[in-house]
Amino acid sequence: MTDTGNCILCGKCMEVCPLLRASGQEELSPRAKANLSALLASDIEALQEKDAAELAGLCLGCGRCKQKCPQGVDVPALVADLRGKHPGFRGWLWNKWLKHARELWPSTSLAARLIPSGMQPERLSPFLKAMQLLKSGNGLKPFVRIKTLPKNHAGTSMMLFSGCTARYVRPEWQHTALDLLSRLGIDVVKGKFGCCGMGLECAGFQTDAAQMRDTNVLAWRKAGKPKIVTLCASCHKGLAEYSKNFEDAVEARQWIEALTPISRLVLQGCYVLTPQAPEWIGYHRPCHMQHQDTDHAFLSAVLGEKLLEPDDRQCCGFGGVMQLGSPELCTQVNERCWQSLDGADTVLTGCSACVAQLAASAPENIQVGHWLEILDLEDDA
Amino acid sequence: MNTRELTRPQKQFLSGVFPEEDCLLSPERMAAFSTDGSRLRAMPLAVVRPENSEQVSELLRWAHNERMPIYARARGTGTVGNTVPVQPGIVVSMLRMDRILDMNQSDFVAEVEPGMVTADLQAAAAAKGMFYPPDPASSGFSTVGGNVSTCAGGLRAIKYGVTRDYVLGLEAVLPGGRILQTGGRTHKDVVGLDLTRLFAGSAGKLGIITRLTLKLLPLPEATASLLAGFCSINAAMDGAAAIFQAGILPSALEFMDRSTLNALREAGSSPLPDTVQAALLIQTDGSEQGVALGLNRLESALKRVTPERLLIGRGADEKQLWDVRRSISPASFKLRPDKMGEDIAVPRGKVASAVEAVHEISARLNLPIMCFGHLGDGNIHVNIMHNASWPEELAHAQQAKEEVFRLALSLGGTISGEHGTGLTKAAFVDQQLGSNEQDVMTGIKHVFDPHGIMNPGKGW
Repeated sequence: MTDTGNCILCGKCMEVCPLLRASGQEELSPRAKANLSALLASDIEALQEKDAAELAGLCLGCGRCKQKCPQGVDVPALVADLRGKHPGFRGWLWNKWLKHARELWPSTSLAARLIPSGMQPERLSPFLKAMQLLKSGNGLKPFVRIKTLPKNHAGTSMMLFSGCTARYVRPEWQHTALDLLSRLGIDVVKGKFGCCGMGLECAGFQTDAAQMRDTNVLAWRKAGKPKIVTLCASCHKGLAEYSKNFEDAVEARQWIEALTPISRLVLQGCYVLTPQAPEWIGYHRPCHMQHQDTDHAFLSAVLGEKLLEPDDRQCCGFGGVMQLGSPELCTQVNERCWQSLDGADTVLTGCSACVAQLAASAPENIQVGHWLEILDLEDDA
Repeated sequence: MNTRELTRPQKQFLSGVFPEEDCLLSPERMAAFSTDGSRLRAMPLAVVRPENSEQVSELLRWAHNERMPIYARARGTGTVGNTVPVQPGIVVSMLRMDRILDMNQSDFVAEVEPGMVTADLQAAAAAKGMFYPPDPASSGFSTVGGNVSTCAGGLRAIKYGVTRDYVLGLEAVLPGGRILQTGGRTHKDVVGLDLTRLFAGSAGKLGIITRLTLKLLPLPEATASLLAGFCSINAAMDGAAAIFQAGILPSALEFMDRSTLNALREAGSSPLPDTVQAALLIQTDGSEQGVALGLNRLESALKRVTPERLLIGRGADEKQLWDVRRSISPASFKLRPDKMGEDIAVPRGKVASAVEAVHEISARLNLPIMCFGHLGDGNIHVNIMHNASWPEELAHAQQAKEEVFRLALSLGGTISGEHGTGLTKAAFVDQQLGSNEQDVMTGIKHVFDPHGIMNPGKGW
């Protein structure tokens, strides 16, 4: 059980919660969730634990409140705890989705078959649409050519952690990443990585998440502990939060230092825009971009004044397991996000879940993609 | 836990006016509304969420007839328990009414709904070159409606005044359903009694505010801040005196005593060395040239009293200096798990005497008591830290609180400069307000709320 006793109900977390801002429902705020957890821990008879857990489970998992809390209260962990105790159908479905990403993600029709007839299929439609679009999307038309890439990584060995989306749904992201690594002169070491485990952890499936972590750390160890290149902010955060899988503190530090967003490797390169470049480009900063945002630094250097200033307060509304529990609330959060992107012809981001959510909800004539898609690797400048 | 329950017709009425998610009846959903920053708790009978003043009017017509207690609430960040529904009743969450209805650059006026977050209003005004000065430490997560109901003060009060100084007019719904319109968009208005100001600080006891007309100012072009560390509280007071003697009116003048600095050090939030026993945080604002000049004058004035450390902040660095100030409240819990957060105010010239006397109480009762706050307007936050599970320490904390209140009154001050009295200070109001004054207040409340349904059980 995560400690809830530290919450002093100061309310600072309410400043950053996108769900509270979009819904105006105080019972969904991080403070309310910490309060509910504390009440349950103190055995208040009037509360139905299952109902309280379901309510507390309505969390986007963005993690902003944890960053903000002066008392160190980790509300997403409290929520995961409650979800773990009461997984129910939604959690089960999510678990299936993540554990069997290879079979399920390429075909949403397969996923749809898993939904019992008693479930209202229309409630899941935004999520299914997101998955469908992610799979069927042709991607953006590239408009950035590479003039030169930095040479300082040449000759080093690294592993690529593609993530489930790039492995099973959008293989072109993986191809682009591998192509970039090759052009950088990096020797890509093969290894059997699984899912980062973050989605499972948030949904309350700690045991399954622990298995994923073991698999990934073992693969890295077997490969000689090289740098691990990531291309999704959520995967990166998931990997960065591993803490219990290491032999000692030295290895734990080596792991953290090994994690390398791919944008960091190409930051010092030289790039040119083609005439196809859109006029105004929006950047959605993923909630899970809690490490230094080299994706934005890269885009800022490449796109210059075309890149609109991002609004760091917005969440795309993907919400993981909450997408299955309350798509209506996710939609409210998503609408706020789009308001903040007003004026952009194309929206870029660096998280697979954000790409899925934004692509499924984009206003007409607005293109959405992973920033890797803008790189033209066919025709070098 | 309340035992009283709503009848079926009462529930039907509420869910008829407030459909679906806007009427909460389950304890799981209502738990969030049973408490606030005070950590006191009482479960309401229901929670409703209006989206317009017509719904509020319908609710208050019903509540008036039913003699049903009503507790208006926004973000519930107050620390005296003002929003806690101590008598079984209905909590009215105003967070769905959070729009800017108008922001006018000719009139320098904003019309907003009460659930608007104060910092969002400030940002929206700044985007149009305007300035909403009231700036309580909670501005990022508290609302304009809550700020008006408590007449929130904040950091800039020394130069710009408090929340009530920016309320030009308002719309409020009274028990029985009447909708009151007070004041307007003019910066001057002397026709009739000032009902607008009566609502500022009325803590939800008169009616429910549904719309606010607020005064805005031109946005200062620049700000700069100084954090000055001193070897003693007296040296810090000399520093403040030197600023005023130099003819400078800063836009903020905050102080922190040694207990406060210790808590910040524990929390890793203090940029000052351990030798510093008291600190001043000063801000100046105005044009770029004016601020540069003001900063020079502040530096020269302070250097005359030889501070231990002087940190200057502009731009991002300035925010870091103010983050120190905003970290005090959460850092206080590093000293003890429980807090009595008092906010006495004394005449500006009596601050040093007040802080010294509080330190004497702290030493005698062996309790960490932090003094910090708005030196510029004599408003001292006195945080009596204690462990409530130790009976002896709890009794000492209670004794310290009573002594601090007596101290404030003996110096010609008040038991609350900002927070209000709510539940935690209700028992001490008699020490400050005489029976004549309280009788007049009771009479005024009776005109607005004849059955006493608005936020009952709280102090004046």
